[in-house]
Amino acid sequence: MIQSIKHYISVYHGFLQTSLSEATSFRLNFFLFIIMDIIFYFSSIMSVSIIYQHIDHIGVWNFQEFLFFLSFSLLIDQIHMAFIAENFWYFSDDIRLGNLDFFIIKPIATIFSVFFRHIRPASIINIFFAAVYFIYCAKQVGLSNLMIFLSPIFILLGLTLMVSLEILLSCSMFYMVESMGINFLRMQFQNISRWPDFVYGYISQKVFTFAVPILLISNAPIKFMLNNNDYTPMIFLLIFTLITWGLIKYFWNQGLKAYESVSS
Amino acid sequence: MPLLNKWIQTIKISWSNLLAYRLNFLLLILGPAFVFFFIKYNLWYSIYQGNTSVIIGGYTLDQMIHYQFFTLITALIAQSSNAMNLSSDIRLGRISVFLIYPFNFWQYHCAHFLAFQSLQMAVGLFSILAFLGFGLINQLTVLDCFYGFSFCTLVGILWFSIQYLIGLMAFWLEETWILRVSFLTIANFMSGAIIPLEMYPKWLSNILWYTPFPYLTFVPVKIFQGQFNGLLSAYLILIIWTIIFSTLSLIIWKKGLRLYTGAGM
Repeated sequence: MIQSIKHYISVYHGFLQTSLSEATSFRLNFFLFIIMDIIFYFSSIMSVSIIYQHIDHIGVWNFQEFLFFLSFSLLIDQIHMAFIAENFWYFSDDIRLGNLDFFIIKPIATIFSVFFRHIRPASIINIFFAAVYFIYCAKQVGLSNLMIFLSPIFILLGLTLMVSLEILLSCSMFYMVESMGINFLRMQFQNISRWPDFVYGYISQKVFTFAVPILLISNAPIKFMLNNNDYTPMIFLLIFTLITWGLIKYFWNQGLKAYESVSS
Repeated sequence: MPLLNKWIQTIKISWSNLLAYRLNFLLLILGPAFVFFFIKYNLWYSIYQGNTSVIIGGYTLDQMIHYQFFTLITALIAQSSNAMNLSSDIRLGRISVFLIYPFNFWQYHCAHFLAFQSLQMAVGLFSILAFLGFGLINQLTVLDCFYGFSFCTLVGILWFSIQYLIGLMAFWLEETWILRVSFLTIANFMSGAIIPLEMYPKWLSNILWYTPFPYLTFVPVKIFQGQFNGLLSAYLILIIWTIIFSTLSLIIWKKGLRLYTGAGM
């Protein structure tokens, strides 16, 4: 087991090195990535700020609480952008062009090499800014030091559910000739998950919490951090992550069986 | 006449390509606009807490929802085209063939855009009829609808000019989608697609009127609603912005072509 973990860490180290050398070959792109993320933060924060210039509360949250939620979502999004996001776009191409063959024959789990292969170093830099902003917002809402200290665990849990749902959705790419649309659908789910659950109507809220549990990604950890007595959303988050992985195991294997490998 | 035939044939081929994978078309083109609207609808409904008598930034809930419906229609008609194929054509060296074809690179992508725009207009028209049928929008006169559609068509052309310019950056950049996403983020924020411009701080909205952004969403929405004065000047300003971006594209194209090495030739 330990040997296996060491092996995967060394492989991931290789992925990181390759991505870093690739990113530094195109320096202008590297800086544009950083600027793109900053533009996204700026527009998100400004939009919320403008709305709050006209009102005191949205749902039950005041401006500071809303920004705290937003900073948490942005941080998860940033980590996702840095370590995972790019791989879904490559996956769609790899299936279409038959490049998946090369992943299947490698002596490591295919799912690992497919979804963790490409890393975006420019976005790693922005994680620092997103983290600083998150801590600032956490202090503004009076979050305890203990909760701030524990927040990486909550971020990791939210991120795990997000990535799990995306991998599950991506299994559908095995059955499609052109799966760019699935990536766009994945991005739309991300957009929906970036807002507090009370923003949505009753039915939408239930659908996106229990059927496609994307609202749990940020809402569950934030609710727990703001009110430590309410464990329920976190329990849901854990249960749905486990269920999603069970489904991934089944649909991924089914997808591999259906994969026709165009190049061979 | 042979040139016209080339345009028609290219438009026909583009239609076939665009509609070959219908689910993909639905998820790629219609999905983002409808999801964006879904989020905004819920957000504003939540902000107003369903109270129809509350006024925020000069808007009642009904007026805000009405505004958001027209942002959706504007997005459907005018804001979905992108230059994804264009940049990959440059990056992968496929433009070499266009340099010798009797139908040049711009003509080809322009014809593709026209095919795309016609589909967008059909989707936009269908959406308006559906919204009217369900009573989701009201007080839409035939004249406002005509002005709105014609203005959105011009917005579509401006949108294409900007996307074309961004696509041409592939002469210098490995990936142009970064610029596309950045532009889309800025456009959504600054065009009034999320929040009507009346609600922006005065200093910011004053600055925005010197940019093309309000003309991408806020102005067409107000035209559809019959609440925009100075229609002629709006058309004129939009045309001027389109000329500016098209001229920039021409300059960038000429400069880029000097750098082009024809990868894979």
